[in-house]
Amino acid sequence: GVAPLGAVPLQKEHQQQFQMMESAFFHMPHPSDSERLRSYLPRNPYHTPPYYVQTPLPHSDTLEFYQRLATETLFFVFYYMEGTKAQYLAAKALKKQSWRFHTKYMMWFQRHEEPKIINEEYEQGTYIYFDYEKWGQRKKEGFTFEYKYLEDRDLN
Amino acid sequence: DRAPAGPSVHIHNGILQVRSLNYDDPPGLVEKTDFLLRDWIGIYHSQPSGRDSTKAFSLFVHQMNVHGILKTDDLITRFFRLSTQLCVEAVYRNVTDTSSSMTVIRAKCYHTLDPFVRLIALLVKHSGDTNNTTTKIHLLNKVLGIVAGCLLQDHEQRNIEFQQLPYHRIFIMLFLELCSPEPVLEAINFQVLTAYCHTLHILRPSKAAGFCYAWLELISHRVFIGRMLAITPQQKGWNMYAQLLIDLFKYLAPFLRNAELAKPVTMLYKGTLRVLLVLLHDFPEFLCDYHYGFCDVIPPNCIQMRNLILSAFPRNMRLPDPFTPNLKVDVLQEITYSPRVLTNFASLITPPQFKKDLDSYLKARAPVTFLSELRGNLQISNEPGMRYNIPLMNALVMYVGTQAIAYIRSKSLTPNMSTIAHSAHMDIFQNLAVDLDTEGRYLFLNAVANQLRYPNSHTHYFSCTLLYLFAEANTEAIQEQITRVLLERLIVNRPHPWGLLITFIELIKNPSYKFWNHEFVHCAPEIEKLFESVARSCMVQKTT
Repeated sequence: GVAPLGAVPLQKEHQQQFQMMESAFFHMPHPSDSERLRSYLPRNPYHTPPYYVQTPLPHSDTLEFYQRLATETLFFVFYYMEGTKAQYLAAKALKKQSWRFHTKYMMWFQRHEEPKIINEEYEQGTYIYFDYEKWGQRKKEGFTFEYKYLEDRDLN
Repeated sequence: DRAPAGPSVHIHNGILQVRSLNYDDPPGLVEKTDFLLRDWIGIYHSQPSGRDSTKAFSLFVHQMNVHGILKTDDLITRFFRLSTQLCVEAVYRNVTDTSSSMTVIRAKCYHTLDPFVRLIALLVKHSGDTNNTTTKIHLLNKVLGIVAGCLLQDHEQRNIEFQQLPYHRIFIMLFLELCSPEPVLEAINFQVLTAYCHTLHILRPSKAAGFCYAWLELISHRVFIGRMLAITPQQKGWNMYAQLLIDLFKYLAPFLRNAELAKPVTMLYKGTLRVLLVLLHDFPEFLCDYHYGFCDVIPPNCIQMRNLILSAFPRNMRLPDPFTPNLKVDVLQEITYSPRVLTNFASLITPPQFKKDLDSYLKARAPVTFLSELRGNLQISNEPGMRYNIPLMNALVMYVGTQAIAYIRSKSLTPNMSTIAHSAHMDIFQNLAVDLDTEGRYLFLNAVANQLRYPNSHTHYFSCTLLYLFAEANTEAIQEQITRVLLERLIVNRPHPWGLLITFIELIKNPSYKFWNHEFVHCAPEIEKLFESVARSCMVQKTT
């Protein structure tokens, strides 16, 4: 570096400031300090070799990108990344694929066939749903989907 | 600090309460607070949607009432102070636990801090009537003051054992809570920003160096920058944000000026550059408007940092490529417009008598003694490297320049190489160039070069001035220094201010300056090579 005006020794005040700064340097703020708590996927920074991808793909925060992801990936994002933009995009992508969220069972359902009954309050028929406990898709025959449990918030 | 007034009075009250009321709480209050806080943390974590549940909150407020906490203002503030201290203690207990991983430790800290933050946010939101913004803001200011007071006390007492984490988390999480999209909060958003700016100014790195990294994270948080510079209408947040950046630059200055960067300084410096890059990319007009105040506090050797600020130009402007052959700067429409300068630099010319003498000299071009006394007015010590009053030098240059432009225009002329000459204004500049020693001249020329930015009337005037001073120099030393100041701003990595490039290209291209005939250009082979490479990049043939 250059010091065109010449070096000036640090005053006592600045030396003390430096000491405080130096000790703070050894416990730097962590990225998660200013983020909401991530219960399942906490940040865990680790030095990875430079020949691995270091940053996410460009445009990987768009709906178009999420629509290209596997359904199971979307379910994973939905259940393990609560309260994030990723969760929002996953929900949107699932809706686009005709999955509907059941607010009582907290699971996603998709019609397997045209419902046998459709009325003002509910529809009934065979559905595919995603069981987050067994972590897999299941089929349910003769299921009644009450519309009051249908999550119908406009995600736009 | 000035005597607190306006919104910061409650913040200062909060700080004072931490300082003065220490350890004389009414008997049982600590236990009550501890009990209530634990209770609330339990509520926060128990119900799946309990966090947002207003029912749980009203039940808890009832609890607080039962315990008499909400009886008086004094008790409420004590409750907040004790709660903050309890949360902070919990963090210190956690971080000393060596058996757990850092991830687990952090999760435990957040587990305590987040509910406390939510409690503050809810109490602020629900204090007073829905439309009573005053009560809410008073409470917020007081809480921020209390947290700041606890921080300062902790910083002082624990010294190098101080932890930034709890305060950082409380401040940022509370800020995010208060920026939620809810009408009640939107109504007080500007006051929330004001409260935060006051608090962050109080906690500036020179006051709490152990908090400096978290502090930089806070002021550069995307939501904070967004609110301060973009979302708040009429640029009402700009001034406060500029103050925080000045706080940062001022703190860094003594460490940067010696150019011996220890790791902790490098880290903060790199962070500062990143913030400046974000601002240059997203809010160039902000950097344009406050460039003067920023350059005033950035040490002269921080060339790139200053270039980042000086390279900013309004987004609606298209800059002509400085390398265009035969570019005629004089005919550009933009050079007739003055840039906005939001610093009252005229008021920085002190003492008042000096300002008076300056004004009368500019008017009458007399007495000549004004010129001979100029150096004495700028010099403040005999200590090498600290001889001059840099802010005064900057203000003088800027003031004389703007007065010159006005004077030339008053004669229905436009500034150019001939109209700027032979005036009281140029007398002053020439006198500074000739009469000052190397150090003073360096500072003077830097003050001029700080105005070489995007196409505007100041850039044009000061560009002409610098070239004029070069042409009219009576010694080669002056020319060498002018070249040095320009060159050292160009050999650093990009960005480079437009006006700086224009001025330098003109200097080496226009044969009337006989640039290549000067000895300093050929003083050393590496310098000569450097000039040749710069000249090549400026696309001119070296005249041999």
